[in-house]
Amino acid sequence: MRRRACLALLAAAFALPAVEVWADEAPAEPGGYRLDNYKAPTPRTLRGATVVGTPRAYDLWQAKGIVFIDVLPHPPKPADLPAGTLWRDPPHETIGGAAWLPNVGQGALAATTEDYFKRNLADLTGGDRDKPLLFFCRRDCWMSWNAGKRALGYGYRHIYWYSDGVDGWKAGALPMETVQPRP
Amino acid sequence: MSSTLRSRILERFSEGPMGLSFKKTRQNKKSEKNCDSRISQSALCASVLASMLAVAAPAYADGDTPSDATWTAIKPAIFGDKAIDDAAAATLDAPARAEDAALVPIDIHIARPAGGAPAVKAVTLVVDENPSPQVATFTLGEGGGKFDLSTRIRVNSYSYVRLIAETSDGKLHMTKAFVKAAGGCSAPAVKDPAEAKADLGKMRFRVFADTGRNEAQVQIHHPNYSGLQMDQVTRLYTPAWFIQTLTVSQGAKVLFSMNGGISVSEDPTFRFTYAPNGEAVTVVAKDTQGNVFKQSFPADGGS
Repeated sequence: MRRRACLALLAAAFALPAVEVWADEAPAEPGGYRLDNYKAPTPRTLRGATVVGTPRAYDLWQAKGIVFIDVLPHPPKPADLPAGTLWRDPPHETIGGAAWLPNVGQGALAATTEDYFKRNLADLTGGDRDKPLLFFCRRDCWMSWNAGKRALGYGYRHIYWYSDGVDGWKAGALPMETVQPRP
Repeated sequence: MSSTLRSRILERFSEGPMGLSFKKTRQNKKSEKNCDSRISQSALCASVLASMLAVAAPAYADGDTPSDATWTAIKPAIFGDKAIDDAAAATLDAPARAEDAALVPIDIHIARPAGGAPAVKAVTLVVDENPSPQVATFTLGEGGGKFDLSTRIRVNSYSYVRLIAETSDGKLHMTKAFVKAAGGCSAPAVKDPAEAKADLGKMRFRVFADTGRNEAQVQIHHPNYSGLQMDQVTRLYTPAWFIQTLTVSQGAKVLFSMNGGISVSEDPTFRFTYAPNGEAVTVVAKDTQGNVFKQSFPADGGS
């Protein structure tokens, strides 16, 4: 009851309506994967998966037993850069305990990338297709949607999609961690 | 209570110097499927209310705020511990917001030094937040004096673009501009690979006599692959392949030379001022695969 009173006060202060009504800007789910222009508004749903927001993602994170997978792309340092070229590779901050599988959220994957994805999914789940997986990257980024969809296609049965990703987690001041990509 | 409201609150506020502070973020338009939450909502609510009573300092979303933090970290790798002042040896024009992050126009103006002031001998462009922050160093031909140069660069995210001029006394002077852009280094190449190969190294030299200033432009066709662009067909990163050095001479005299990296845009283009003397203009360029491109043009332009 205290919570409700507090939030009602907040709502009044912001002059927010108690129930938000948004013009539906979210695009429909495409039939296949999203192939380009990944940084764009995403659908509300991922057929076959459970979409979660930050509070629910935090619940799942606290309960443990779910593998959090960050799919934010990470272009590797070009091999052909002349020696001595200054290269900036800032540390990658993500949800605490998450596994970082960069580049697996592309709409079409090169064979090597797909092998990397499959192998790591098998490692992270111990080969258990029922092990829950949660995919995320950033808000308004199709890569985590693609990755979740692809995992469903591989036969993983419990997929969560945390569409707000690192942006939502960070805004909630929730535990972050600096990670390296999984090999 | 509305789960959408709760998520909007969670995302609107973030840790700041005064505890929770206002933060400009886009609102969460996605609905939650589940209302259960064990986050301490009372504490969250109370802090939010408290912060509202405090004076809300204007805050920018992450990355929007111009900051020297990255520069402080990378400066030693580029300039060691040399002092850099802000004497106005050269000026920099850059758009506040870039239309195309892969083709950000940059204008460099070097004025004739007043009195006996030392002349600028080289300028270095740095984009703090780029994976390869050192964009290029332009070395001026002998004779110093007034020199204007324009080119196009890649800016990967909101960043300071800096111009560090080195004068003949060895001192360094810096000016900077904040450019809002994103993704310049990973934007797909404008030309497809076959086209890029077919045109590789072709150059153009144009003279702009009608501007009232003695200006010319050199263009060289080259994909200048950053190594961070994804090939749409193979779905793998296209390896870096770019013009490393370029020298423009009039007769035997060098007008300027460039030492550049992956932050110079595709089809490097340089517009510059010079004192035409009727002699042919020669351009020599080398890329990271060891290709050398050389072409001479009559004084009034050609390709």
